[in-house]
Amino acid sequence: MAGFSSFSLFLQVFINGIFLGCMYGVAALGLSLIFGSMQIIFLAQGAVMILAAYCIYWIVTLTSIDPFFGFLLIIPVFLGFGWVIYKGLFQRVAKAGKNPSLLLAFGLMVLFEHLMSLIWTPNTRSVATNYSTSAFGLWDINISVTRFIVSIVALITTGIVFLFLKRTMVGKAVRGVSEDMQAAALLGISPNWISSVTFAIGIALAGIAGVATCITYAFDPYFGFLFSLKALIAVAFGGLGSVAGALLGGITLGVLESLSSYIISAGWADAVAYAAFLLILVFRPEGLIGRRSAQRA
Amino acid sequence: MVDHLLQVRNVDIFYGDAQAVWNVSFHVDERKIIALLGANGAGKSTLLNTISGFLKPKHGEILFSGKSIVKLKPEQVVSLGISHVPEGRRLFSRLTVLENLELGAYPSNTRPYLKESLDRAFNLFPILKERKNQSAGTLSGGEQQMVAIARALMARPVLLMLDEPSLGLAPLFVSLLFETIQAMNEEGVTILLVEQNVHQSLEIAKYAYVLQTGTLKMEGWGEELINNSDFQQAFLGMRG
Repeated sequence: MAGFSSFSLFLQVFINGIFLGCMYGVAALGLSLIFGSMQIIFLAQGAVMILAAYCIYWIVTLTSIDPFFGFLLIIPVFLGFGWVIYKGLFQRVAKAGKNPSLLLAFGLMVLFEHLMSLIWTPNTRSVATNYSTSAFGLWDINISVTRFIVSIVALITTGIVFLFLKRTMVGKAVRGVSEDMQAAALLGISPNWISSVTFAIGIALAGIAGVATCITYAFDPYFGFLFSLKALIAVAFGGLGSVAGALLGGITLGVLESLSSYIISAGWADAVAYAAFLLILVFRPEGLIGRRSAQRA
Repeated sequence: MVDHLLQVRNVDIFYGDAQAVWNVSFHVDERKIIALLGANGAGKSTLLNTISGFLKPKHGEILFSGKSIVKLKPEQVVSLGISHVPEGRRLFSRLTVLENLELGAYPSNTRPYLKESLDRAFNLFPILKERKNQSAGTLSGGEQQMVAIARALMARPVLLMLDEPSLGLAPLFVSLLFETIQAMNEEGVTILLVEQNVHQSLEIAKYAYVLQTGTLKMEGWGEELINNSDFQQAFLGMRG
């Protein structure tokens, strides 16, 4: 087992964990929103992320535009994509209960994975820019420019979603519907309309996380499932239904993985993450920062 | 024929294959307080849920201001001016009191009056102004019932349907609640009150319908019913 030879090395590993965690956080936020409206775990969240990553990879390769423009492109396209998936598929099966929705999400995941594998081959890809390897120094730490910008995007995204849910009438309705769909309908809120909005935002968040992934990591068509799991763990850490919780849960997970892969070894990072997931489910099912009183009866 | 505000005509209502309501007709006139009485399982909530659009009657018709509403979705019924305070209040417990009330004014035809409606709600229930930034789940049962009623009023309803508002409340709150219902009615809101609390309901209701296991058993003016021996036996005796 390696220790930390210096404090600055510890900080370096810690910061890398935060960067990784910001991406988990955005994916987790999408997962948490979709869970709120449909009460299912949207298993295809990771596959949708990787789909966004491939779209950006494709566009960057064909047109050599900067991948950061991808954020601007992906947000409207994936909002629409999410809307269509909800209206075309989930709204129809939602009446039959949760299990068909869950199966549908699983089916979509498999479908996306294989489509991506057919279109772009199963080979590992990455999006390179001429500043991919640039870094700037802060005290003794090296900070990757791309990861830094990606994390800022994640923070801004989370902030916008937070304000949307807290300040706008539709955002409040999203929270209302996630708590009691029938009561919301009695107030004149159309649960279907709110669910499609929520689902569209959840998919757009997956898209944003996907763009972030392709800028900072190598990926293949089957890489997404891991992200669905990580997003789920992040949601469990932060507590369901909390925006700040999803981001903080993601960051906690990122830091935990980063530290354990450095202190023990890279192979142990996932094992530690899943072990922490189980411990939290057993001892603090409301999440590390969730309030007990806020739990559903 | 007189046009009633709400007219329920010969409705049969089913849950799947099980019939819950048999051939029930009643009507509610504007600016009145009408009570729908009956024991548990008599079909009172079923009727309210059908008027609200959650259930569709197999036969029969429901007219509001002369127009059929049976084909409408719950969110469309609200926009017409029918607000329904469901049994058990159904507040959004993780949202603040203020957010609950704001969502009450969600329909686009009521949203422009949000501030006005909030003032009206806080006038009616001053305690809610003090509690407005608390999450609704932390309130007492009585206060939660106030939020539920205030939230329904935010949609500026013509007809307010209350499903067992006194259930589980302390006696002091029950008296206050019935006073408030009367006050709202004096402001011009028509009330359809579903209750098991027969005595207090009949004190404020002009007219009452009595349901028993899904059928309409009797109807009459408050005084008439209280002095009716069938009613006493079926109802008051049972509560004894």
